[in-house]
Amino acid sequence: MLTIWSSDPRFRGWLTTNNNNDIGTLFLCVATAFFVVGGILAMLIRAQLATPGSAFMGPEAYNQVFTMHGTVMMFLFAIPFFEALSMLILPGMLGTRDMAFPRLGAYSLWVYIFGGSAVIAAMLIGLAPGGGWFMYPPLSSAAFSPGIGADVWLLGITSIEVSAIATGCEVVVTVLRYRAAGMSLARMPIFAWFILVVSVMILTAFPPMILGSLLLEVERALGWPFFQVENGGDPLLWQHLFWLFGHPEVYIIFLPAAGMISTILPVMARTTLVGYGWVVTAVASLAVLSFGLWVHHMFATGIPHLSLAFFSAASTLVAVPTAVMIFAWIGTLWQGRPTMKLPMLWIMGFFATFIVGGLTGVMLAVVPFNWQAHDTYFVVAHLHYVLIGGYVFPMVAAIHFFLPLLGGRTRFFKLGEIAFWLTVPAFHFTFLALHLAGLLGQRRRIWTYDDGQGWTVINLVASVGAFVMAIGFALVILDVIVNTLVSTRARRNPWGAGTLEWATSLPSPPYGFASIPVVTGRYPLESDPALAHRIARGEGYLAQSSRNRRETLIVDTSTGAPAQVAVLPGNSRLPFLLAVVTSTSFLAPLVGAYWLSGAALTGVVILALIWAWGLGAKTDEGPVDAGRGLSLPTSQEVPDPPGWWGSLMLLLADGVHFGALLFGYAFLWTLAPDWPPESWLVPGTAGPVLALGGALGLVVGTRLAARAILRTRRPWIGFALAVAGAMSLEMAAVSIWIMCPDPAAHAYVATLWLLAGHVALHATITLIMLGYLIARVIAGYTSPRRIGEARIVQLWGDFTALTSSMALAAAWAPGVFA
Amino acid sequence: MIDILRLSVPITVWLVSFSAVYGLHGIVCAAEWAGRPGIGHLSLGHVLLLAASAMAVLVQAGLMFAIANVRVGGPRGFTRRTSLALAVTALVATVWTLFPVAVLPMCR
Repeated sequence: MLTIWSSDPRFRGWLTTNNNNDIGTLFLCVATAFFVVGGILAMLIRAQLATPGSAFMGPEAYNQVFTMHGTVMMFLFAIPFFEALSMLILPGMLGTRDMAFPRLGAYSLWVYIFGGSAVIAAMLIGLAPGGGWFMYPPLSSAAFSPGIGADVWLLGITSIEVSAIATGCEVVVTVLRYRAAGMSLARMPIFAWFILVVSVMILTAFPPMILGSLLLEVERALGWPFFQVENGGDPLLWQHLFWLFGHPEVYIIFLPAAGMISTILPVMARTTLVGYGWVVTAVASLAVLSFGLWVHHMFATGIPHLSLAFFSAASTLVAVPTAVMIFAWIGTLWQGRPTMKLPMLWIMGFFATFIVGGLTGVMLAVVPFNWQAHDTYFVVAHLHYVLIGGYVFPMVAAIHFFLPLLGGRTRFFKLGEIAFWLTVPAFHFTFLALHLAGLLGQRRRIWTYDDGQGWTVINLVASVGAFVMAIGFALVILDVIVNTLVSTRARRNPWGAGTLEWATSLPSPPYGFASIPVVTGRYPLESDPALAHRIARGEGYLAQSSRNRRETLIVDTSTGAPAQVAVLPGNSRLPFLLAVVTSTSFLAPLVGAYWLSGAALTGVVILALIWAWGLGAKTDEGPVDAGRGLSLPTSQEVPDPPGWWGSLMLLLADGVHFGALLFGYAFLWTLAPDWPPESWLVPGTAGPVLALGGALGLVVGTRLAARAILRTRRPWIGFALAVAGAMSLEMAAVSIWIMCPDPAAHAYVATLWLLAGHVALHATITLIMLGYLIARVIAGYTSPRRIGEARIVQLWGDFTALTSSMALAAAWAPGVFA
Repeated sequence: MIDILRLSVPITVWLVSFSAVYGLHGIVCAAEWAGRPGIGHLSLGHVLLLAASAMAVLVQAGLMFAIANVRVGGPRGFTRRTSLALAVTALVATVWTLFPVAVLPMCR
């Protein structure tokens, strides 16, 4: 088992591994490094503001420092850090051997490293953006932010968002399908619910931000005027797209931490979580409600009172599910016998901090107060209470809690306790004081202030507190490093937890479980203390390694009944290489090397095809022995393989991106000052005929081809129809570009170009997929059993047909009705 | 998959209806329907928004009752209970977030 699952030896192993232990550890180390960078930037800010009229930094340097502090903490630390922890512990919790798409996880890691490093490198050479972490135009437009600082942000952060979406797909499919036998939805560990909900949020919240970044970058590079009022654009569109992402982002960061608390708190209280079902309800409610709050960041933009009231009401509403979670945790403490060990200390720090942040959040949800406190240090203090108290403290608790699992050692050196008593009080010194500064009128992002404004003592106290807090966090990192490297070895399940990740030997081996466990309850180790030994003795599923490949179990989504045997890929350098070309395609435009970006995009296509071609088989294997007397089909011989589910999730993100594009179009149409344009695009008859025929051909053609493969008939008629359909859609898109030749003239024309671009891009992707499927059929990789790839192409074809029809209808409708 | 749909549909419908009413409000103000006569002393914009809000509440209530029914909500158990709790949450959220339509001016 160890031979099959081990990474390659030496340095090469770091580049070719796709095991969740390795990828998660690398992710965690890099995210921590970025946390240190963000922390240093915070100290520079506090050094500058410690005294009035400070000459420590000039305004331009200060702008770059606070922009990068927010950017690094939000994009390079917070999200990757919980993704890292999820990769490390989620397979163990679920009772599976690895994540659903190990290579996708490795790809995600490398894209994150390259994108994040580019952003940091730009800062080090003085090319960082200075427009704040939310980059509002027109300040971030080419006119007011010349140079490449804003481009670094837009392209670098977008590449990191691609990484996050890849991980989101992987986590959703893992939680839904890769679990222990018998682990129904009702028996899932509570953290799995949290991370499932958060991953769906990532898939739905990031696409509007990616669209916004695309629009702003295109405006900066090519002059398409999406945010320029004089040419039909509107800078408020950016604020909508940004906060459609930005507000759920707060919950994307908070909920994994809440999941950790829900996992750790019952163990520390030596009981089980009170109100499991209510907590699941609360997390799902909170996730969806958080998408209805984005305008509360825009209360000061002159929006009508009724709209303000919608979002004010929604903002107050989220306090209810949050309170449900908090009362469930208090109930758990009440029910149990809590022990005040280090993870518990940090959770107590969370309670003391997050509840204050939550209450100031309710204050800010009330419009009249929001107008008074808008863009003051009150908001800065509130968001740090929520993010540090609500995210960082629980994550420190999680690191200490899972330390035995990660490094195989328990804590011996007690630096962590000192770190806690330095960090938490210092935090309150700093940010409690800054609430007051905000109420006294200190605006955020000012680089200096005059003596006599009443803020001098407050800022000095905040700066001293911030430096003590930084020393505290440095001690936390030192504590983790020392105890990971040289502490005493841990025994199995040192905390006496009930979930499956503690059933493995410590540290967790690369294959996780010697056999896939069978569970009958929510806390399997508590109800069956001998389970760990029985798993190790091979009494679960897939104990044999005679097929000499990486295998794990896929279960029914609801019941957890064994359904398939997943065949996972081995070590490969493809994810690393694909990440290199992906990152190059994003970053090359920064130095004007558009040709290199184009070449890299071609490389992305070629490597992705090589990646996919290496999977699958040319012969039917039939059901294989899964152990315990059960035979199951492999994931290569089912109609709904993991790749189909992954595609479904990716298309969910793609669909939201498309929806955000339609929203932007409607927004400009109804609210932008310089509308309507001088003339509308009139489609004629050829374009609509091509579009309708193309969509129909694609939908029918892919179905005919899949049905023919299923019945061992020739699929060529179906393929011909589908290819013709995709090409018709391409032509319909091109017709728009030809009829509206100047996208820089007006935001309307620029939007038409984007709508047509959506159609052309998806038709091209579908053509590439059809070409790949035709080659697979010719090479013998398909059969009635091996139908999965045809169904994936069908799914993409349906999506392309549907969204292309909608995009073209949206482009032509005004001209038709005018 | 059906269980996942039972859990996710009601609260997602809230998001869709909330966004739709917000979008309709944008159109009402942009097209100046707030100043056009509707029914009685209510403007056309106000009537449209009230109708849309009422429809959203009805849809949520319908979903809640459907999930409470065994044929749609599935057998008793965790998924049924949680789906029902989410449907009730979605109904409360709809009423709470859309009630300003009944009491506030349209486009000021």
